Amino acid sequence: MTIQELYAKIGGDYDQAVRVMKKDKLIDKYVRKLTASNVGEMLAQAGETMDGTKLFESAHAMKGVCSNLGLVALANAADEITEEFRPGNARKLSDEQVREKLQAVIQRYEDTTRCIREYEAQG
Amino acid sequence: MIKSKQLKKPQLVLIVDDQEINRDVLGMILEDYYEIIYASNGREALDLIQQHRNRLSVVLLDLIMPVMDGFQVLEHVRNDEFLNSIPIIVLTAERSAELKALQMGAADFITKPFDMHEVILARVGRIIELSEGRQLISAAEHDQLTMLYSRNFFFEYANRIHRYHPNWHMDAVVVNIEQFHSVNALNGREFGDKVLRIIGDEIRAFLSETEGITSRFEADRFDIYCLHQDNYQALLDRLQKRVSALSKTANIRLRMGVAPWREDVEPELLFDRACAACSMIRGNYKTHLMVYDEEMRLREILNQRLLNDLRRAVDEKELTVYYQPKYDIQCDPPKLSSAEALIRWQHPELGMVSPGTFIPLFEGNGQISAVDNYVWNEAARQIAEWRDKIGVTLPVSVNLSRVDVFDPSLEERLDALVRQYGLDHKLLKLEVTESAYTDNAEQMIELINRLRNCGFEIEMDDFGSGYSSLNMLSCMPIDVLKMDMTFVRNIGHSEKDFRLVEVVLDIAKYLKVPVVAEGVETRQQLEMLKEAGCELVQGFYFSRPLPPGEFERLIIREKEIERENEA
Repeated sequence: MTIQELYAKIGGDYDQAVRVMKKDKLIDKYVRKLTASNVGEMLAQAGETMDGTKLFESAHAMKGVCSNLGLVALANAADEITEEFRPGNARKLSDEQVREKLQAVIQRYEDTTRCIREYEAQG
Repeated sequence: MIKSKQLKKPQLVLIVDDQEINRDVLGMILEDYYEIIYASNGREALDLIQQHRNRLSVVLLDLIMPVMDGFQVLEHVRNDEFLNSIPIIVLTAERSAELKALQMGAADFITKPFDMHEVILARVGRIIELSEGRQLISAAEHDQLTMLYSRNFFFEYANRIHRYHPNWHMDAVVVNIEQFHSVNALNGREFGDKVLRIIGDEIRAFLSETEGITSRFEADRFDIYCLHQDNYQALLDRLQKRVSALSKTANIRLRMGVAPWREDVEPELLFDRACAACSMIRGNYKTHLMVYDEEMRLREILNQRLLNDLRRAVDEKELTVYYQPKYDIQCDPPKLSSAEALIRWQHPELGMVSPGTFIPLFEGNGQISAVDNYVWNEAARQIAEWRDKIGVTLPVSVNLSRVDVFDPSLEERLDALVRQYGLDHKLLKLEVTESAYTDNAEQMIELINRLRNCGFEIEMDDFGSGYSSLNMLSCMPIDVLKMDMTFVRNIGHSEKDFRLVEVVLDIAKYLKVPVVAEGVETRQQLEMLKEAGCELVQGFYFSRPLPPGEFERLIIREKEIERENEA
C-alpha cells in the first residue's frame, strides 16, 4: 500500500496533506504518529461522562490534528462535536444524537488507526 | 564590514500546542529559520517564557489546551511587565477566538491547518521584526544602567508636559557628583555604577511621592523635572544620605542646581539654567545647592549680550586701547620708560564695561584672541603714530592670552605686524601671565623662545600669584618680571609683605631681569621699592590708564621735563 492508497482508504485528502507537509516522507512520518496520539482515547473518555467541556476540548484536538494530516473526513466529524459543545454555542443535538455521532467518530478514528497500522506493518 | 544581520542572535520561537503532531508540523515549517522550543500546555509555556524571557522572539500559542489554556497564558503575559513585550501569535481556526485573542493582546493569528507555509513564515517574521523594532526603541528610551529616561526621550516628555499641562508648575533640577571621575578612579567602575544606580533609585522613590520624570545623561548628570518644591535641601539630603551609606571610606559629594518654574521658559532652557546653577558650585565644598535666581539670569543675559556684541565692538571701534605708563624709578626724577596697553569697552548702551567683566567671559569662550588681536594692532599703530607725530618711540607691552599660545601663526602675525609699522620688535613687549607658563610649561617655553628669537621681549605678568618653582623659573625665558600688585599693596604697614617684595627682587636679580612693580599708589610704596632696588613701577601714583590723546599729552609733558632737567 502506498501513502496515497492509504489516504484513499481512510477518507483522507492527500493533496491537503501535501499542502501542509510538502513531502511524502514527512506525511508518512506524521501520519504514523496518529496511532500513538491520545486524541481518540480522550474523546471516548469524554463521551462516557458526557462532560461538555471535555467533549469540546478532545473533539477540538482531534479536529486540529486531523486537519493538519489531511484526514478531512475525521476532522469534519470531530468538528460537529466541537461546535456542539463550543462554549457559548446553543446545543442543537440531543445527548442520544451526540452519543450516536460520537460512536461514529470513534469508529472512524479506530478504522483509520487500524489502516495506518496495516500500512506501518508493510514497512 | 559586518552587517547588522550577522550580529543578530538566532531568534528563539516557542511553539505551544497540546498535540505533538501539530507542534511537529509547525516546527518543521519554521526550523530552517528559527531556533524552536516546545511546550504542550499553558503551564509549561509560562515556565519556558519566564526562563527565556530575554531571548524569546515570539510565542506561537494554541488556545484550547488542557491544564492551562492559551487565553490564560495571554492574560498572564499581558499583566507581567517583564513579559508583556514578548509577542504572541495564536494558532486557531475559529474567528471568534481570533478576535478575543487579539483583544487580549495577541499580536496576530495563524489559522489551522498549517497549509500556507509562506503566510506563516511571513507573519512570524513580520511580528518578530516589529517587536525587535519596539525593543530597540524601548532600549533607546532608557539609560540601561539606571533605567531612567535617556536624554532625547526625557526632553520629549518634558516638552509634552510643558505643552499639555501648562498649569503644572514644573521645576528643573540637575544633580551632579563632585569629581565623579575620581570616585571611579579610586573605587572602580563597578562602584561608580552602583552609586549611579542608587541615585537613580532614590530619585525614582522621590518621584513616586510627587509628579515628575527623570533622566540620566552624561556620566553623572541626573535631570529631574518635577512639580515645584519650596525647598530642595530635603531631596539633596536624602540623595546624599543614600550615597554616603554606600561606603565609609569613599567621600562622595553631590551638588544640585535648581531652576524654578517660569511660565515663559521651556524645559530645555530651564535645564540650561539649572545646569548653570549646578556648575556654579562645582568644587565649592561649603555650598551644595544653588537655585538659579534673577541676578544669575540678568548676568547671563549680560554675558550673552557682550559675547554677541564683540564683533560689532571691534568693527565700530567701541573698544579703545588705554595706556598706563611705567616709570624708571632709579633715576631722579623718575623717568617715563614704557607703557602697558589696556583694553576698555565703551558700549553704546551699557556705557563703560569693566574689563573684569568681559575679559574672563571672552577668555572662557575663546573670543579673547579677537580682542588681543585688536589691541596688538592698535598698540603697534599707536607706537608708530607717536614716533611719526611727536618723535618719541615708546615701548608698549600687550597681553598674550592662553588661547594665543595654540595659534600656530602667532609668531608670523606678530612679526608681520611690527614690520607693517616699521617698528623694532623690542617696542612691542609681550606680557604672559605666570599661570599661563605653569599650565603649559613646555609648549609655552617653546613658543616664547621662538618669539624671543624673532626679537620680541617677554614680560612675566602677575608674578607671585602663580605657583612657579624656583627650578622652573630658571628655565623660563623672560626679559622682565612684573610683580603682582598684591605684594605691593601692604608693604607700607606689613614687614612680612615687604620681605616678600625683597625676595621677588632677589629672584629677579638671580634671573638677571628687571622688575616692574604693579599697583603702586603712594609715595611711601614708591620710596620703599626704590630703596629695595626695584627698577620700574606702574600704578595710580603716577597715572591711571589714559586714553591715547591724554597719554600723548603725558608723553609730551614728560619729554619737556626731561629736556628741562638736561638743560
